[in-house]
Amino acid sequence: MSVQVKKQKQTTMTQAVNSEVEEKIKRVSSYKGVIGLIIVDSDGIPIRTTLDNSTTVQYASQVTQMNQKARSCVRDLDPSNDLTFLRMRSKKHEIMVAPGKDYTLIVIQNPSE
Amino acid sequence: MSVCVSCKQHHQRPLTTESKMFTDETLEGVNFPSTWKKERSVSECGTQTRDLETDEVGVQSVKHREAEVQTDEEGGGKLRLAQDTTGRLGEWLRNIEPLIMKELERNLSSHAFDGYRYDHEDWCTHKTALCTWNLERRNLNENKPDTTIDLSSCLMCIAFHPDNPAQIAGGNFNGDVMLWDLSREDDLLLATSGIGDDGHREPVSKIYWVPDTSSKRKKFLLVSVCSDGKILIWKLDKKKHILQVVDGFVLMAQSLPRHLKSKNMRSDKEVGVTCISYNCEDKDVFVVGSEPGAVFKCSMHAQGEPAGGHIVSSVPLRSPVTFPYTSHHGPAQPVLTIEPGEGYVFSVKWSPVRPSLFAAATESGNVLFYDLKNNQSVPLKKLEANDKKIPVYTCQFNPSQFQLLATGDGEGYISIYRLSDDLKTSTSKETDVLSGLVNISTD
Repeated sequence: MSVQVKKQKQTTMTQAVNSEVEEKIKRVSSYKGVIGLIIVDSDGIPIRTTLDNSTTVQYASQVTQMNQKARSCVRDLDPSNDLTFLRMRSKKHEIMVAPGKDYTLIVIQNPSE
Repeated sequence: MSVCVSCKQHHQRPLTTESKMFTDETLEGVNFPSTWKKERSVSECGTQTRDLETDEVGVQSVKHREAEVQTDEEGGGKLRLAQDTTGRLGEWLRNIEPLIMKELERNLSSHAFDGYRYDHEDWCTHKTALCTWNLERRNLNENKPDTTIDLSSCLMCIAFHPDNPAQIAGGNFNGDVMLWDLSREDDLLLATSGIGDDGHREPVSKIYWVPDTSSKRKKFLLVSVCSDGKILIWKLDKKKHILQVVDGFVLMAQSLPRHLKSKNMRSDKEVGVTCISYNCEDKDVFVVGSEPGAVFKCSMHAQGEPAGGHIVSSVPLRSPVTFPYTSHHGPAQPVLTIEPGEGYVFSVKWSPVRPSLFAAATESGNVLFYDLKNNQSVPLKKLEANDKKIPVYTCQFNPSQFQLLATGDGEGYISIYRLSDDLKTSTSKETDVLSGLVNISTD
């Protein structure tokens, strides 16, 4: 009986968390000029995306590699330092990467839009 | 005849003798050796080529060997969204979201990449056009220019001929200086500089007509300045349909004021020229603006340092600089600074009639008219060029019809304004106010 209650609680909590996640994703992705956002886990595998499948796969793998490279660069230069944010400006967009311990957020924006 | 006469005299002779007088005779042929023809002499001769030598050589092409390599497969483009295992996604997003929103906002207001808006990677092949409208035409159509000249690269600057309104000169992104004649029937392009050693190698930043002092008739030469540091003077060769370089200058790093010089820079390194303006009274004196930000006073007769050996040109190029202006030293210093507070100021133009009046085109979509005679820091008039706050990139007074002002904005619209009387009629003492301002400040 108690196990059931616990389970119920957990599902409602997950729902609440999920709706919060959705709301945040919506808020960022509807910002002016934002083309899409991807959240990847620590292995570089996408968890959430607002882009189509092939673009998501490409961005996830390429940006994750770039992020790792940037991070190791910062840490090699100073072991007590760490990467907190990565921006890449290209001819067409700006790619922003917010790395975290468990997740990484990738946002692609066209600022001139 | 003599035969006949003799017949009559010797008529007693028998007729038989008479018939004997005529006999058939065969004479032998006579040969004459030619006096001019020479006899051909023939002699025999023999030649022999060497025996053909042959050698045999064997060649062999490279042998191939096949090998197989295998890379790890990359998921094959299939997307599988992983499940969030840690459950801390919401919490993390809550922390990271303000940061990302701040960055998104910063990107939108950033001007760091504004210079790249032309999107020129290297060689410009954009399809562009030069359009003209004549305001005096009765059937003026705002949406259809009177003439349209299609061009194969971006045009950076244009200038009408001072006397002949049919002639327009222009410089394009690739460094070509061109001259069009709108009165021509078929090919409107009258002449072009072409792209070569004598021409520009970078986008032409400004083009200007100057009177040709060497000619007795009223003729004009073209001056073009470019971000490759060259200031070239062109003359039209009507027969060949080309613009010929007659003289030229090059702005070099050695002329820069000390605080703009860098140690590693070569002294004969070219410095890009961004703009040029001629003295109203003495057309031999001009000022140029450079890419590092320095302003130089120059002379058409300057005999400065010659250009470095790495610059190839058919006319000798030399430095035109008579002296550099720096912001706080030397004869030029700002006498008045006005800050409209409307973002970037893209263009400032003096009124052609009122010496104390000028117009400034701003980023927030306004044209501000300042009258230095009255309140210097507050604009006399604020003209809203558009209601969408689109930047106004350029403005220009009409040099002969003083009531007209043209603007060009960020959405590609050209607007013509008719100015009110107080903006187009000169009042007394305006020059006094200006000279007073300059004199007081330089003291």
